[in-house]
Amino acid sequence: MLSERLQLKLYLESSEHFELEALIPVFHRFIRDQVIKDLLIDVVDYSHVPDGPGIVLIGHAADYYVGVLDGQYGLVYSRKRGGPGPAQRLEDALRRLVNAARLLEQENGVKLRFKSNELSLRLTDRLHAPNDDATFAATQAEVEALFGRVYGGVAIERLPASKEPLSLRLKAASSPSLEALLEKLGGPPEAAS
Amino acid sequence: MTVATTWKQKLAGHIREDWAREIDIFETQIELRKKGKVEEKLFAETRLRRGTYGQRYDNGQRHDGEKTQTLPYPSGELTKGPVTMWDAPGMQRIKIPYGKLSADQLDTLSELAEEYSDQILHITTRQDIQLHFIHIEDTPDIMRRLSAAGITTREACGNTVRNVTACPYAGVCNTESFDVIPYANALAFFLLGHPDTQDFGRKFKVAFSGCKDEPCGLTNFHDAGAIAKTRVVNGELKRGFEYYVGGGLGAVPYPAALFDEFLPEEELFPITQAVCRVFARLGERENRARARLKFVVKKLGIEEFKRLVLEERAKLRPDERWTSFLKDLHVTDEKPLKPASELVPGNYPQGFEAWRKTNVQAQSQKGYSTAKVTLPLGDFTPAQGRLMADLARRYTGDSMRLTVEQNMLYRWVANADLPAFYQELAKVGLAAAGADHITDVTSCPGTDTCKLGISSSRGLATELHKRLTVIADQLDPAAQSLHIKCSGCSNSCGQHHVADLGFLGVSRNVNGRRVPHFQLVIGGQYRNNAGSYGLAIGAIPSKRVPEAVKTLTDRFVAEKQDGETFQAFVGRIGKKEIRKLVDQLSVIPSYEQDPSFYSDWGDPREYTIGDLGVGECAGEVVPLVQVGLADSERELFEAQLLMDEGSSDRASARAFSAMVLAAQALTREKNSFLGEGVDEIVSEFRAHYYDTKLFFDPFSGGKFAHYFFRAYEHRSDAASKDSAHQLIEEAQLFVEAAHQCYTRIAGALP
Repeated sequence: MLSERLQLKLYLESSEHFELEALIPVFHRFIRDQVIKDLLIDVVDYSHVPDGPGIVLIGHAADYYVGVLDGQYGLVYSRKRGGPGPAQRLEDALRRLVNAARLLEQENGVKLRFKSNELSLRLTDRLHAPNDDATFAATQAEVEALFGRVYGGVAIERLPASKEPLSLRLKAASSPSLEALLEKLGGPPEAAS
Repeated sequence: MTVATTWKQKLAGHIREDWAREIDIFETQIELRKKGKVEEKLFAETRLRRGTYGQRYDNGQRHDGEKTQTLPYPSGELTKGPVTMWDAPGMQRIKIPYGKLSADQLDTLSELAEEYSDQILHITTRQDIQLHFIHIEDTPDIMRRLSAAGITTREACGNTVRNVTACPYAGVCNTESFDVIPYANALAFFLLGHPDTQDFGRKFKVAFSGCKDEPCGLTNFHDAGAIAKTRVVNGELKRGFEYYVGGGLGAVPYPAALFDEFLPEEELFPITQAVCRVFARLGERENRARARLKFVVKKLGIEEFKRLVLEERAKLRPDERWTSFLKDLHVTDEKPLKPASELVPGNYPQGFEAWRKTNVQAQSQKGYSTAKVTLPLGDFTPAQGRLMADLARRYTGDSMRLTVEQNMLYRWVANADLPAFYQELAKVGLAAAGADHITDVTSCPGTDTCKLGISSSRGLATELHKRLTVIADQLDPAAQSLHIKCSGCSNSCGQHHVADLGFLGVSRNVNGRRVPHFQLVIGGQYRNNAGSYGLAIGAIPSKRVPEAVKTLTDRFVAEKQDGETFQAFVGRIGKKEIRKLVDQLSVIPSYEQDPSFYSDWGDPREYTIGDLGVGECAGEVVPLVQVGLADSERELFEAQLLMDEGSSDRASARAFSAMVLAAQALTREKNSFLGEGVDEIVSEFRAHYYDTKLFFDPFSGGKFAHYFFRAYEHRSDAASKDSAHQLIEEAQLFVEAAHQCYTRIAGALP
C-alpha cells in the first residue's frame, strides 16, 4: 500500500444501549496501563459533534476512534505515520484494529460488539494515494490478497464521492471471532513504530 | 509526465512565490533544528510565527491520574523549543482574515484535518481555524497546501499582528455605517510581514466593527479597534473610524481607550502603522506579562500616547498602500448566486421555525438573509466541512464567515431557499437552533489541549450545552438569550469577561485534595463591542457549575423587571445575593462519599493527586493557610461591593488588603512569628516566596507576585474606577496564584 496514512474501520453490531462517553475512562486506562502497546498520548471527547469521531485515543503513530464519521458507529484505526513497509501496511493495520476491538469487547462497562466481517478502508494521503482508478486497482489487489488469506474472500465497494479520500466498503466472506481473526494475523501486535 | 512525490513538487507554480519561499525556509529550519544547528528558543519563535504551537503534554510527561508517566517519543531528547519534545503533537493555527472562507478554502482545510489531524476542524474565538495533534514535520506541507488555496499561516502566533477580525455581518448588516471589509482586508495584508510589525515584545490584535452598539466586532478588547463612522464635512459625507487603542483581555482586562473620535479613512493605515512603531519602541521586552500595548497606553496615558503616535505619524515615509485600496472599495463585494426572493408561506420542515428564529437574520439587502450554522464548541468534521463548502457553492455564491462565537455564517441566502437550506443542514446534523443563545456555549481549548489550561473549559461547555439543549424550548426567552463563555485559565481565550455568565478555570485544595473549580464571572457586557467586563464573584466546584447556571437563570427569569438585562438584574439585586449562591454551592462531599467531584468534566482521572497523608506539622499548617486564603477571598469580594457602590478608594484598599492576607497566610508557613505589619509581610513574602521562586507559576513566572509588589508601592495613590477595577482583577489573580502555590507546597500537585 503506497499510502502511509490509512484508516481501517470495524462496524458495531448495534449502537443501542451504548454510551459513547463510557469509553473515556476505558481509553484513559488503556494509556495508564499500556493495554495497547503503542505510544498513546491522550483521550479527546468529541461526543458533542454530530456524526463526529466520537471518543479519540490519540497516539504518536496512530489514533483509535470510536464514533460515527461515515454514518455508522464503529472503531477506526488511523495510521498517521511510520509503521511497516508498503507490503505490510494493510495487514498491520488490520491486526491492530482487530486487537483493539477485541480489547474493547472485553470491557464490561461499554457493551461493544463488532461485526468482524464488515469494514471500511480510507487512504488519507491524497499525494501518494489519490482517489483515482489506478490507486483503486492497486488497493483492490492488496485487499483481495489479504482478505482472501484471512477471511477466505471479500466483496469490495468503492464509494463514489470524489472529494473524499479513496474509500472502500469491505464485506468479508466469513465472520470469524475477533480472537480467531487475531490469531490468523499473528496475535496481539508489538508496539507500533 | 513526472509524478510528484512531494507536495512541494505537486504544488510548484500554484503558490505565491514569496509564500513558497517562506515555507521552504521554514522547512530548512526544521532540518537544521533536527541536526542541532538552530538553537531551540530561536526555533520555537520561528515556528510560532508560522502558527505552529505546542500542546499539552509536549514536555514528554503526562499524569495518568495516579502518577506521572514519561511519553517515550521516538526522537528522544530532540526538542522544538524549551521543554517541548520534537515528536509531541502540536496545534497549527490558521489565520483567516475577518473569518472569510471560500468554498475551495474550506475543502482544503477539511482535507488537512482529515490527513494530518484528528478529523476535527476547530473555530477559535478570533475567527481562526485550529488543527490539533499535528506533527511538526507535517507542517510545511500543510502550509503549502494552504498557500495554494490562498491562506498563509504567517504571523498566526508569536509577537506579531494576529488575525485581523471583523464583524461577520459586515456588508450585509442593518446597523452598520458602512462595510468595513475592504479596510480590514487591506490592513490585514498591509501589516502582514511589514517591517514595523516584526519587532514587538508581544502580540498585537486588530478588530473592525461596522457599528458601535452591537457586539459583533468586540473592538473594546483589542490593541487597535476601528468602528465605522461617517461625518458630513463641507457638505460631503466622509468615511472614517472611531479608533480605539490599548484594549485587551488576558489576565487583567483593560478597556480600550479612545484615540480619535473620527479618524479619516485615509489616516487609518498610517496611524495604525505609527501605533505599531510606538509599541515596538516602548513596549515591555523583559516581562511578558506586561508587554501588551494596553500597558504602554496605561502607563503613558492616552493623551501622551496619542502625542507620540502623531509624532511618529509625521515621520513616516508616505506609502501608496495607505490609500490605494480606497480607489476600489468594491473589490471585496460579494455577488449573490440567486436572485432576491421572499420566503413562501407553507408547510415548513420540522424544526425550521425554531432554527429561523435564532439562526437567521434579514440582511440589509431585501430578499436575502444570513444563516448561521451552530457548531458546538466550534468543532466540525472534514465531511461536514465539505458539505458546508458545497452549500456555499449551491446557495450563496461562495461566501462564508467564521464567527467569534465559533459558528459558521452564510450570507446571501435567498429567502425562498431558507427551508431547503435548512433541510440540507438537517441531513448531516448541523441544523441545531440556538446560535449565539444560552445553549451555544463558547469555550477555549482548556485542559483538552492547551498547555496553560487549569480546568476543563470544553468539558464544562459540553456539559452545559447538553443539559441546556434538553430544556432550551422550555426556557424563558430572556434566559435563552443569555451568553455563557468559559475559559480554562486566566488568559481569557474563552472571553469569559464579556459573557452574562462567565466561567474561569481555577483549582482549589479541599480536604487535602485538589478539586477543579470555576470562578463565576458576572456583570460583563457583550453588546457595545464588549462594552464592559465582569468580575469574579467566587469559585464554584466544576461539578456544581450546572446547578449554578440553573439557579441563576431561574432567579433571573422569576425576578427580572420589564426589559431588564441580566447585567442590570445583577446590578439591582447586588453581588451579595449572587455570592450567597456561590457560597451554598461551594461545599462538596468528601472524596469517600463522592469521588466524582474530584475529577473534571470529560476526564475521569483524579484531579487531585499525591499522597497527602502528611505529618502533624503539615496537618496544622494547612488549615491555617486555608483560613487565611478564604479571608483574602472574602476581602476581595467586599472590594467588589465597594466598587459597585462607587467607593473606588476603599475598593482599592480592600483589594490590596486581600493580597496582604493571602501573602500573610502563605508566609506564615515559613515564618510562624510573622506579624500583622504590611511592610513585614511584603518583605517576608518576597524573601520566602519571590526570591526563592517558590511562588512562581511554571508559565507565568513571578508575574502575580509583581502585581502584589506594585500594589504595595502604590497603596497610597488615589484610585479611579478603572484603577480599582484593575487592582481587583490583579488581586484576584494573586489570590489564585497563592492557592496554586499552597497546593504545590502541600505536595498535592504533580
